[in-house]
Amino acid sequence: MLRFLMRRLALLVITLWLTSVCIFAVTAVLPGDVATMILGQSATPQDLATLRRQMGLDQPLLVQYLRWFGGVLQGDLGHSLRTGGCGVQFCTEGVRVSTLLVQRSTNSALLAAAALLIGVPISVGLGVLAAVRRDTWIDRLVAVFTLAWISMPEFVTGVLLIIVFSTWLRLLPALSIANPNASVLDSLHLLILPALTLALVMLAHTARMTRASMIEELRSNYVRTALLKGLPRRTVIFKHALRNALVPTATVIAMNIGWLMGGLIVVETVFAYPGLGQLVTFAISSRDVPLLQGVALLIAAVYSLSNLAADLIYTYLNPKIRYV
Amino acid sequence: MTQGVSLAPAQHGRVGQAAAVRAHALAAAIRFLLRIASTPTGAIGLGLLTLHLLLVLLGPSLAPYEPTALNLRHTLEAPSAAFPMGTDNSGRDVLSRVMAGARSIVLLSIASTALAMVLGILLGLVAGYLGGWKDEVVMRGMDVLMSFPALLLAMLVLTMLGPANANVILATALVFTPRVARVVRSVVLELRTREFVDAARLRGESTVFIWLREILPNASAVILVETGIRLSYAILLIASLGFLGLGVQPPTPDWGLMVSEGRQYIYQAWWMVFFPSIAIGSLVIAVSLLTDRLEQVLNAQRSFEGS
Repeated sequence: MLRFLMRRLALLVITLWLTSVCIFAVTAVLPGDVATMILGQSATPQDLATLRRQMGLDQPLLVQYLRWFGGVLQGDLGHSLRTGGCGVQFCTEGVRVSTLLVQRSTNSALLAAAALLIGVPISVGLGVLAAVRRDTWIDRLVAVFTLAWISMPEFVTGVLLIIVFSTWLRLLPALSIANPNASVLDSLHLLILPALTLALVMLAHTARMTRASMIEELRSNYVRTALLKGLPRRTVIFKHALRNALVPTATVIAMNIGWLMGGLIVVETVFAYPGLGQLVTFAISSRDVPLLQGVALLIAAVYSLSNLAADLIYTYLNPKIRYV
Repeated sequence: MTQGVSLAPAQHGRVGQAAAVRAHALAAAIRFLLRIASTPTGAIGLGLLTLHLLLVLLGPSLAPYEPTALNLRHTLEAPSAAFPMGTDNSGRDVLSRVMAGARSIVLLSIASTALAMVLGILLGLVAGYLGGWKDEVVMRGMDVLMSFPALLLAMLVLTMLGPANANVILATALVFTPRVARVVRSVVLELRTREFVDAARLRGESTVFIWLREILPNASAVILVETGIRLSYAILLIASLGFLGLGVQPPTPDWGLMVSEGRQYIYQAWWMVFFPSIAIGSLVIAVSLLTDRLEQVLNAQRSFEGS
């Protein structure tokens, strides 16, 4: 087990390093000159050249990469290009990318946690219900419901919820935040719609998985034995079958955390929620290269880690799989 | 043309044979479609998809108004007899735009799925059949691509290449290629050890012949189902890219883009986002239902042949 774990971790480190190369390569060839972006169109060629030299942009790409990657290893991701301001004489430096990332990932983690908190209990409940009442109208209703939400892109789910809860019922705000730097903790009601959107999509996958594995368990011999020896049906379902059925479900939930990292980009953009996902769209639309590099690397790292966690949970809980 | 009478019993020769083969294939295809449509989910999926394909073919010409025509006298009008799905902030008819918008998303997702399948099958064959260092190189490369969430990778590629339809196809194919390659590789690993592959190898057949004639036909069920799954994900991804402004560019009608344009008018004009949203959802539902049903039919066939 330990060797297996070490091998997987070593592979993950190599993969993440290659990922950083990819991210740097993609952002390095982006059209647009960073120096012109900072100083504006009216800057003189001398000023531009000076700034480029100061920022090391006149160095070969390999040197630039090594400097950037060296910084990453020390937790220094550089400064954002777009959050600082430029006066006539001087420029204030942009906010440190690492500061922005810490602030935004707290908000995103809060949103993800809320989504999991809503999504996991409901999805496991729906999955068990559908499995126990297999082939009845309840099962079919759950199937239609989950299929509908799997088939909607996150932004569609988001805007449909906005139409119902904001436009028609006037219960909740359509935008999740006015001040992009304020903490979301002050106003939890802003979390409801984005969290519900993420939960609905996640719910569908998890409910389907729970139903499938629950049906498998209910067919097994130990469940029949437990029922035949006179245990109440409720005890057999919840104490015996559900525990085993949750093994694949746990994997799906861990995978969902990875999926959430992608879902956050769209959902946070729909609700203007100040998290990592919205930071990605901001960095792309404003061509903020250091910010884009930092946030893409962070998202890729979290995504890979949670996929690895899903693999490990699955391997750990399922003794039939050999560690190779 | 002689083909018109070729089914007559007196007609022989090549033309007659070819037509007979074609008629046979057509009959088989119709039988297969009827089988798919023989359950409620299959029938609903097939019906919905046919509707969407009709929109792709005829949508722009059947649309009651010009999809890009501005009409500033009728901005943000609620659904009515004249405008069944209302109008948008420029007075454009939402129904016409929904009808015309099917073309871009359907064609883009089919093209990118096809490209991803071809590349993924090729890489899966190389990795699974040739094995060794080639397997390591291909699969570690795929791991790097898969260390990004699908949407983020597509966004990065499109930011680099610029938003154009060809680039949307490329970016989407790049996202799904590693996922296809993984599935194909695992099937190939299993098929590689079977007797008929050994026999072909001992006969001295070339690797390409074995891939095309021995392995792929036996993997066709898995590949078909995988195509359906990838197609539904491609639609979701391309719609999201459109919504984020990285896909089809205005004023071309595109469902994802329409939702994003309507987002800021959501309090005054819910119909601007509601109808394109339903269009996207129903398209993906159609593809998912059909894929589910396809899997059932293929599994039933396989267990029938196996017994």
